[in-house]
Amino acid sequence: MRRKIVNALAVLLLGAVFATIALAYQERQFLRPLAEFYVTQTPTMLGLPNIVTGILITWRGFDTLGEVAVLFMVAASVGLLLRETGETQTHSNPQTRPAGEIVTSGAATLLPPIFLFGAYVIANGHLSAGGGFQGGAIVASGVVLLLLARPRAELPLGFLAITESLAGVFYVLLGIAGIVFAGGFLDSRFLPAGQFGAFISAGAIPAISILLGIKVGAELSVVVDRFRR
Amino acid sequence: MGISVSHLALVTGFLLCLIGVWGLLSNRHILRIIISFSLLDTGVHIVLVATGYITGATAPILDEALGPGAAALHSVDPIPSALVVTAIVIGFSVTAVMLAYAIRLYRAKGTLDIDAFTESKG
Amino acid sequence: MSALFHPLNIYILGLGGGFLIPLLYRVAKRWLAPVFFLALTGITLISAVAFIRVLGGAPPFEVITAGIAPPVSISLRLGVAEGFFCVSVNVVSLLGALHLWPRLREHYGALLLYLIGVMGINGMIMTRDLFNLFVFLEIVSIATYGLLGLAGTTRSLSATFKYIVATVIASTFFLLATALVYFVTGTLFIDELLQLPQPLSGPIATTALLLLLAAILIELKPFPANGWGLDVYETAPGGIAAFVSVGVSAGVFFSLYKLLPLFGPWLDLIALSGGLTFVASNLIGLRQIRVRRMLGYSSVGQLGLATLALALLEKTGAPQLMPLVVGGLILNHLLAKAGLFWLADLVDRQSISGWSPIARSRLLLFLFGALVVAISGLPPFPGFWAKWTLVLHLSSAGYVWTIAAIAIGSLLEAAYMFRWFGRSVHAPANNGLSGVDLPRLDWRAIAPVTTIVVLLALAGLLAAFIAAPGSLWIVTPLIAGGMLALVEALWPGLPGRAKAALALIALPAIGPFLLPEMQGLPLLFGVLFIAGGFVVGLGALYRSETRTGYYPLLAAMLLALPALAGASTTLEFFVAWEFVTLGSYFLLAHGRQTGSQTLRYLLFSLAAAFFLLAGFGQFNATGGGVDLATLRSVLDGGSVQATAAFVLIAIGCLIKAGALGVHVWVPGTYALADDDLSALLSAVISKVAIFGLLTAAYLAIRSQSGPDLSILLAWIGMATTLVCGVQALFQRDAKRLLAYSSISQLGYIVTAIALMDHIGWVTALYLTASHLLVKGVLFLAVAGVILRAGTGVFTSLGGLGARMPVTFAAVLVALVAMAGLPPLTGFGSKWLLIGTLLDKQWYLLAAAGFLATFVGFLYMIRLAWSVFLGPREQKNANHHVREAPAALLVPQLLLVVGILVLTLYPSPLFGPLSQAIDPAFASSLVWQGMPLREIYDSLDPLPVMGAAVVLSLLAAGVLALVLRAQAPKPAGDGRDVVASLAALARTIPLVHRLPTATAAWTGVAGVTVAAAGRLRLIYNGNAQTYELLVILYIVAIHFLGWP
Repeated sequence: MRRKIVNALAVLLLGAVFATIALAYQERQFLRPLAEFYVTQTPTMLGLPNIVTGILITWRGFDTLGEVAVLFMVAASVGLLLRETGETQTHSNPQTRPAGEIVTSGAATLLPPIFLFGAYVIANGHLSAGGGFQGGAIVASGVVLLLLARPRAELPLGFLAITESLAGVFYVLLGIAGIVFAGGFLDSRFLPAGQFGAFISAGAIPAISILLGIKVGAELSVVVDRFRR
Repeated sequence: MGISVSHLALVTGFLLCLIGVWGLLSNRHILRIIISFSLLDTGVHIVLVATGYITGATAPILDEALGPGAAALHSVDPIPSALVVTAIVIGFSVTAVMLAYAIRLYRAKGTLDIDAFTESKG
Repeated sequence: MSALFHPLNIYILGLGGGFLIPLLYRVAKRWLAPVFFLALTGITLISAVAFIRVLGGAPPFEVITAGIAPPVSISLRLGVAEGFFCVSVNVVSLLGALHLWPRLREHYGALLLYLIGVMGINGMIMTRDLFNLFVFLEIVSIATYGLLGLAGTTRSLSATFKYIVATVIASTFFLLATALVYFVTGTLFIDELLQLPQPLSGPIATTALLLLLAAILIELKPFPANGWGLDVYETAPGGIAAFVSVGVSAGVFFSLYKLLPLFGPWLDLIALSGGLTFVASNLIGLRQIRVRRMLGYSSVGQLGLATLALALLEKTGAPQLMPLVVGGLILNHLLAKAGLFWLADLVDRQSISGWSPIARSRLLLFLFGALVVAISGLPPFPGFWAKWTLVLHLSSAGYVWTIAAIAIGSLLEAAYMFRWFGRSVHAPANNGLSGVDLPRLDWRAIAPVTTIVVLLALAGLLAAFIAAPGSLWIVTPLIAGGMLALVEALWPGLPGRAKAALALIALPAIGPFLLPEMQGLPLLFGVLFIAGGFVVGLGALYRSETRTGYYPLLAAMLLALPALAGASTTLEFFVAWEFVTLGSYFLLAHGRQTGSQTLRYLLFSLAAAFFLLAGFGQFNATGGGVDLATLRSVLDGGSVQATAAFVLIAIGCLIKAGALGVHVWVPGTYALADDDLSALLSAVISKVAIFGLLTAAYLAIRSQSGPDLSILLAWIGMATTLVCGVQALFQRDAKRLLAYSSISQLGYIVTAIALMDHIGWVTALYLTASHLLVKGVLFLAVAGVILRAGTGVFTSLGGLGARMPVTFAAVLVALVAMAGLPPLTGFGSKWLLIGTLLDKQWYLLAAAGFLATFVGFLYMIRLAWSVFLGPREQKNANHHVREAPAALLVPQLLLVVGILVLTLYPSPLFGPLSQAIDPAFASSLVWQGMPLREIYDSLDPLPVMGAAVVLSLLAAGVLALVLRAQAPKPAGDGRDVVASLAALARTIPLVHRLPTATAAWTGVAGVTVAAAGRLRLIYNGNAQTYELLVILYIVAIHFLGWP
């Protein structure tokens, strides 16, 4: 009981901290110079309409690379943690029931469109809302559905590992290409900007996006698969 | 001016954060703790997006609705939108690691009660 | 070439290498290790090359990404500070990888986590973008979470889960703060944030900054929101714990440094957080018996200290000191803590009490000792120079309480670190039981720790060079000791006596060079130390054991003595002082019997040193600087307000001299040390305190409250003399008796110094020389007795006078000299003292002095009686007793010659003594209107001498009557005499209070440990308690920092 009161007090005090922000908050009416620079210059400089993607892949590409690294490390960590350690496996092998009718037939109909949609989101990240992460997540959700429908399915883990590894290496290589052929590391402008709004345009951004999509899709699938065991 | 859209989102985000913190502090089940963290994290993401809002603006993607000329005036701040993508992925990553630990802890003791894991102290 | 070593390549190597690892694991396993180490070495080399370039004056490396300048893109910077942190972290990480290799290779995931984690720390250090900092923080965190999973024990898993929950809360708030900072400022570029046209204000900005601050502080594991960190330190493999403790923390710490200007209004709060953490965690560290958890507390504490230093240097506007102080503290922590954690892996014992097998390996024990010295912030390691500079600066800035906190925290840390070391010095007997041997270790296992210690020593020299370029010579004693150690290592069969000879010869051979152009007091003490140390040290030759490690330490400690005398700055003085302390500590620890006495000795010595340090700081604060010549001058008489400095230094010296109340460390130490070492400690080493006190006394003369302090000091000295003299009467053991006698005699010297004039100081010096000679003889004589008769307990001794005539004769001379009997030195010096006291009209003191002289006479009689004259309990037990060996007799005889010279020809000595003081008392060359020469001539000893003899006889008569009255049996039995004396002594009221000094200190220790026990209850091991503390910490920072 006393613990509850202390907890409530802590939450209350934290609420007071948040309240000071909420009370002082005033919605912005205009963009600040940096944001305005992004909004007005990204389309011309990088040649793509989706400014968020431009920021993610190029301007703040270093963050994105780091984020890829985080995901990559998570896959490794989960693999490290859930490796076969030889300790008591009694808890870890629940009875796998075959999936129900709805799930199996749902999966059969839905999987192709899900994967297709994922690919579309990945490939069109520079043009409309979407991008490698989003699309990769969609693909991985398809994998989850697949695993639910066929609990005994084996993912090609070796292939996935090599894929994610290669995607990562190529990502770094593209970044280096930016140093050699353009302004600096992760500068996507070493390929021509092309026609604004076209599918093949915006320099190396679509290429990076696709690598991201592959990598995220593969990594999330691997993580999900590890949890299954 | 009344309550603006982003203000509402901001307050919602903060409330979510508080719910998450409350959950972290009072739920003994490890999976619930992990979910509580997700709530806290999501709350922060909502706050992040909310603070990027510009009155009456739209998504920062140039299309028919948002021509290049109007972009400077009618686009939300794209930076929080970009940041939140990264933040979400990182939040996901942390959740995944926590879940992996939960599995290991369960394997070790057959329970997910956080009070059962107080070996080190003092 | 220059492109190859561009700092950007750190990230390309880290990520590229990391991404490649799974691929290699699938297709080319044998390339895993080469690629991993290539990448890690590459990262280290790149950072090193870049650091050297910027150090050489090149502009900082600016790494621009995406081909456009910040704030549009993310940029990184490697300047001098960044380079220093990166190189330090990378070198430790590389060595750590070598150390951890057997574990890392278990799973390729561990390799990539480690590699990318190290890269992430570099990123945290170098990035100039606030959100990017968050990303790197998460990279490092995830790497840690994954690596911590390597241990696989349940304890470790649940500890890690707590760790994860706490750190994700912190980083979530970091993210929230970043979002709010962006909302307020419109930028994430740190350079822009630091140079905003007007400082951030308003509720949102303030909240944002406080949340940011709280998040960073929590990542640094502040008290009390740090239980999660401690649990991880305790349960993780040492190599991983080291990675968390030093690497990750260094990255977070640098973030704090980088963003510090943003936190301008809250520097006090940061300092408070750091200081509290430092003291509290070192306090709780006292209660730890698990090695890794203890190291965790130390780790947390060290970071607290660095945080404190960072905030206060910023606040007091001393950024120029940051490299030495903050850099030194962090580097010291980085190297020493990593080394200790790795050592914990090698020894593989959970509890500090199980560590003694480490003593089987001389190398490991040496490394252990060096690391413990380093972590305690003692010379010659970088932490020492950092602490010195910090304390001196804080003194000038008036942060008295902060200095006290630093001293207390450091002392507590030294207490548990050296307790751990002290318990491990002696290998357990190999009686066939398991667990008494170390795991088998090859050179690859030991190489990383060895390298770390070498790096620490180099870093220490570098820090010394930065702190005081002219003072590098002060490490000479260490070099001499090191060379002897090398000889010992290369030639293990070298007999102990040969090593002893080498160590002793080094003193007169090198010592004089440490006294350049010295004159006056320093020269006098320098000569005293060299000659006394050499002669008394000769006693070591009677030991035939090899005593591995003993003689190098002896050489270093003996040479530190002339170094102390030759010090020209307060820093040099302090370093030499610490060398003497450490040297004698390790020598004591070398002995098998000293046990917990060693720790007591060290703690009192270190406490003394901290008072000294604080005193020198105060002296510096009064504008005196660090020059000892300035300190020892009276030219600006009275103008400097130096009372605080004097009081602090005097307290330090009194502790070291064993003044009444703080004498409790002395008897046990002298009694239990090796017999030849006891002689050195009592006769020679104790004079260090006298030298310090004389040095400090110049300050008292200048101080306005000097006269009051003088009387106080005189009484402290006399009370010590009297009480410890009486205490000596009670002892049943020759060495203990001599120990109390030693304290008692030093009391006289303190009183003499307190006279604060020319004649008083001449007396003090005369007494000092006399005490050196007398105690040297007595301790060496007792060493001979113990060697031949096998014991120093009075009841088992007696009647040895005929069997050891030379020893007996030497003791008689010493006895007469010391007890103040005419005609030997003691009489002259004590007469001088009492006469001067009378002249000063301090009659009560004079009377007390007289009484004390009488007591001294009594216990000396008792010593001689019990050992040499009285009957021995067991008949015919003496027949095997022979005269002591020449190695003990020769130094005794030399000292006896000294006593005789001092007695017969005092004038030639008075000359130099007088001159030694004269430069100081230029104005008092004429004393009470008389030139000095006349004063000495006018001192006619005969009347007082006669009176003394008469009084002594009278007193002896009274005593005899009392004895006869009290003893039921006829006198003549030694035990009766002893018993009667004891009965008599009990009638002196003070005696009953004597044990209270020890009891009081035991009480202090008890209260401290109890407080530690109370405090550690907050770490109940429950994840949710830790979460609650983290949340409350964030809230507390917010409300405390709210303007």
